[in-house]
Amino acid sequence: MSTPGQRDRPDHRSATRLLLRVSRHGGPWIAVLCLNVAVLTAAEAALPAVLGRTIDTVLGRVPPGHWLLLSALVIAVLVLSDVVDLVGETGATARSASWLRHTTVRHLLSARLPRLDSFAPGDLVTRIVANTVDAGAVGPDVIAGLSSLVLAVAGVVALGLIDPWLCVTFLAGTPVLTLIVVAFAKDASDLMDRYLETQGEIVGRLVEALAGARTIAAAGTTERETRRVLTPLPDLHRYGKGMWRAQGRLTSQDTVVVALLEIAVLGVAGFELSRGRIGPGELFAASQYVLLASTFSTALSSVSRLVRARSAAARVDDVLSLDTVAYGDRALPPGPGRLDFRHVRVRSGGQVLLADLDLVVPGGSLLAVVGRSGSGKSQFARLAGRLLDPDEGEVLLDGVPLPQIERTSLRRAIGYGFERPVLIGATLSDAIAFGTHVPSDQEVLAAARSAHAQDFIDRMPNRMWTPLADAPMSGGEAQRVGLARTFAHADRVIILDDVAASLDTVTEHEISRALTSAMSDLTRILVAHRASTAARSDIVLWLEDGRMRELAPHHELWRDPAYRALFEPAADHSGELAAVASGRTSVA
Amino acid sequence: MTLSTSSETRTSRAVLTDSVHRRRPQFRRLAAWSTLEALPALLSGLLVARAVNSFVARDLQAGFGWLAVFAVSVVIGAWGTSQTMRLLAAVVEPFRDDLVTGVVKGAMRRSAAPSASPHTADVARLSEQVETAREAYAGVLMVVQQFIVVTLAALVGLLTLSPLALVFVIPPVLIAVGVFVVALRMMADSQRASLFADERFAEDASTLASGLRDVVACGAEDQVAASVGQHIDAHASATRALGRLEAVGTLAIAAGSWLPLLLILGFGSWLVDHGASAGVIVGAATYVLQGLQPALEALVNGLSGPGLWLMVTLRRIVASMDAAEETAETGSDGSLIGPDRTLRLSSVSFAYSEWAAPVVDRLDLTVPMGDHLAVVGPSGVGKSTLAGLMSGLLEPQTGTVRLGEVRVGALSRAALTRERVLIPQEAYVFAGTVRDNLTYLRENAPAGELEHAVTALGGTSLVERLGGYDATPDLVSMSSGERQLIALVRAYLSPAPLVILDEATCHLDPQAEAVVEEAFHERPGTLVVIAHRMSSAARANRILVLDGTTSSVGSGDELLASSPLYRDLVGHWQGLGTSPHMTDDSAASRSWWSARRPRRHVRGFLWQRRRAG
Repeated sequence: MSTPGQRDRPDHRSATRLLLRVSRHGGPWIAVLCLNVAVLTAAEAALPAVLGRTIDTVLGRVPPGHWLLLSALVIAVLVLSDVVDLVGETGATARSASWLRHTTVRHLLSARLPRLDSFAPGDLVTRIVANTVDAGAVGPDVIAGLSSLVLAVAGVVALGLIDPWLCVTFLAGTPVLTLIVVAFAKDASDLMDRYLETQGEIVGRLVEALAGARTIAAAGTTERETRRVLTPLPDLHRYGKGMWRAQGRLTSQDTVVVALLEIAVLGVAGFELSRGRIGPGELFAASQYVLLASTFSTALSSVSRLVRARSAAARVDDVLSLDTVAYGDRALPPGPGRLDFRHVRVRSGGQVLLADLDLVVPGGSLLAVVGRSGSGKSQFARLAGRLLDPDEGEVLLDGVPLPQIERTSLRRAIGYGFERPVLIGATLSDAIAFGTHVPSDQEVLAAARSAHAQDFIDRMPNRMWTPLADAPMSGGEAQRVGLARTFAHADRVIILDDVAASLDTVTEHEISRALTSAMSDLTRILVAHRASTAARSDIVLWLEDGRMRELAPHHELWRDPAYRALFEPAADHSGELAAVASGRTSVA
Repeated sequence: MTLSTSSETRTSRAVLTDSVHRRRPQFRRLAAWSTLEALPALLSGLLVARAVNSFVARDLQAGFGWLAVFAVSVVIGAWGTSQTMRLLAAVVEPFRDDLVTGVVKGAMRRSAAPSASPHTADVARLSEQVETAREAYAGVLMVVQQFIVVTLAALVGLLTLSPLALVFVIPPVLIAVGVFVVALRMMADSQRASLFADERFAEDASTLASGLRDVVACGAEDQVAASVGQHIDAHASATRALGRLEAVGTLAIAAGSWLPLLLILGFGSWLVDHGASAGVIVGAATYVLQGLQPALEALVNGLSGPGLWLMVTLRRIVASMDAAEETAETGSDGSLIGPDRTLRLSSVSFAYSEWAAPVVDRLDLTVPMGDHLAVVGPSGVGKSTLAGLMSGLLEPQTGTVRLGEVRVGALSRAALTRERVLIPQEAYVFAGTVRDNLTYLRENAPAGELEHAVTALGGTSLVERLGGYDATPDLVSMSSGERQLIALVRAYLSPAPLVILDEATCHLDPQAEAVVEEAFHERPGTLVVIAHRMSSAARANRILVLDGTTSSVGSGDELLASSPLYRDLVGHWQGLGTSPHMTDDSAASRSWWSARRPRRHVRGFLWQRRRAG
């Protein structure tokens, strides 16, 4: 279920099982709805007949007496169960949907990370937000669908009971209705596509122009660009009008067919009335039953809703069938932050990403991990903090295998800095405080200083309390806030996955200094792309094709041309500078 | 219906009333055609009554005749329906156009403001909301129009059929509408609460989807689950409240439609005594059950569904629209600048708010005409802000920025565009021909100059790849570097004597960057380069080093002697001979720069390349 290839073919049985669970979580409302819908259907089916009899009694100049009372009673039951139906439906849907949402979110939070790469973030959001609601409405939908189906059948049967010819008339007219509805649905959907396309074009142009906001502001061309963005608007207008026309046709066809069916039935009923086979009240009842019988189109649409609910459920089910990570319950004993890698092997598909890794990272040391892209650096970084579990072998922190450590202790001990951190929280301060525990304001400030984020944060409109949404940050700045978050929490191991890549050289220098001095009591693992970063480490782990090629200090490795070659291809700022500078000196 | 309490809604109501007022003729036509649409509703009871009476009298011909008339009225009514939809479109589509235009203008204006950051996601959400508002607006119009027309038709029909019956119909309908209006007010609150909770949940979900790795790595699963769960529960409870209130609406419909029927039936014998026939009773019942009831139902569903959506979304949309009218072009036309176009910054300070630390602090700087200045410094130090100040996009809080004799901020937009060009890091390339994109800042550039600019900046092969000047390139296929090259040609072509490149070459490879900067160096006028790579600094006549609070200007050699930061930035001068493996702190800070790739004589290399080209 968890590979993308399989996800294209949704597992219907599993989705149906999920739908059953979802509707069970509608709670007592589902039972109430079931009972209620039986009463509702019965009342609705009975009402025209009862009303017809009442009218006939009235016309017979007899005080309607108990027939009127019965009408009132049936109406009262009808109204009451209508109310119960509405409250029950929203109640059940709300309960089911929120259960499913809670479950999905909780499952996602404990899911094994690498598997998630198969979902695009936007797709995942749709699954969590929209599909859960679609699937959550399934219980009431099924009940409502069944009810309208029963009502439609009851209407047809009642017509037959009043007079068989009424039933025949209705059934003969019905196919026309269906044909027309089907024939006109297509036309509008085509226009709809074009409408959506044009709409997307306007949004696209706007997004494009907003990305170039500074150019436009500097060139003073805001009006010109506004016109450019709005160029497709007349098309949108035209398609929109076309859609209304199509819908108008559809609506009027629909009304005509239902009304003509009713008139045809009335005609036949009138004929029977003139022969004295039925009374005027029964004629009235017949006209009502036609309307009831026409609800079969509602029943049809509820079938399509059911199909939609199932495909929504299948999409949620994909998320729910992701593997989860189990954490242990052991607290960490005091320790320096020593990491042991024992016979570690990581596979993906048939490919071996890391193999035969045996290594000890002593507490308090600074380890640089180098290697070409695809050599397994990121896997190593993920293994070290249990963002990834090895397929074979184990990783231990201060003697305890990572899977045995209780989640909060583990995360508190090991912190990660990412190349592109996702900052979470209302303000910059919240974003830094985000984690296992809430650090004090002083700790947040200190962390921001260590990450060299303090200066630019101070220039934000509300400094540390600037809302993230109002804090435009470059990649390097966001990265430093992410680093501050790590510094504010981790108390044994810090793992920086490729952080320096988008920092400018001065900032990288300063952060690197913070890592070597201020953080020197922690174990630090740095995935390094620059030789300068590796040069600061105590020891370098050189990975090649998923295997350890060397584990030695930088200055020893530097003698190896193959090692030096690792740092060449990246357009290294320092290298660049050296080249230009030497060019300059030669000219000067 | 007055549902609003805050002043914010009043503006969205103003948008609504404005849209109705501006299209009064369309609305009048809509009302006229609506009467046609109401024909079956008006005649149904009457004709059914006549038909029933005829059938009772065994006059089959007359009975079928009345039904035939009914059928004809149904067909005419349906035609009326399709016509009203057309007219509805004539009201709804312009309304949507207004909203789209407003949203686009608002977004463009706000993005033009100095410290704006474009919220792309907001834009996408707004466009969704415009769509919701359009459908809701149409829904409300349709429902209200139908309610009025059908109810009136049914009442008029009843009046002709049996005026006495009206006594049993009007009071319950009034009560029903009254009850519903009260419920609707409360529903608006629940609807808003439900929508807000759902939006917040969606925001949480999208943070979760993109930041799950961070949540797990921070160990903040519980914190996130609690926050997300809160919004899930808030949404569920608001939905339930809405459901309960909708039930009140259902009760109102019941009161408005079933009560009249029961009253007519209860007093049926009395009506019959007063001359009502079988047809009249059946006809009256038809009016109530097929006219009034559906109309009431539509009103309740329409207003509690689309009506509430319209209010909630419109409020958002209107808030994002920009009410400000075009400001008349003010400012100097630039004739006072004088022949000397020296750029002078005197004691310029700038901060993003009064609480924030200044980004630029009392900076003095003179850039003489024809100078080539590079600005270097760590990221986030305020280089882009300085570019904004120099180009007049930002106003300093204290101090002045002058171009010649005139304050940059006092120049009109046209004069500014003529005098200086700013190319930012994020290059703007729009859907249009290559030529349109290149001549953006000089629309009638002669072909020769265009060609020259493209050649000078090394863009010939790019233009070829894109299919020539008149091709409309596929924007998605263009790399960031290619976009930057387009923007750079644009700047080169512009008539402005002052060119400010704000990391405008950061996505070019170093060689291409060198070509570009050389070309700009040769271009007559002043050049300010906010440097992304230190190599840019090496090409400039003078260098400005920004270090947060301090700054220094000079040639490269002067700065090496005077600025520790510059030395740090160009740390290799000392590190050239040092081996890069030293780990003690002082040595490391020097060796930081020395892990370099083999030297390459950039100028020589370039020269050869140009000769070859």
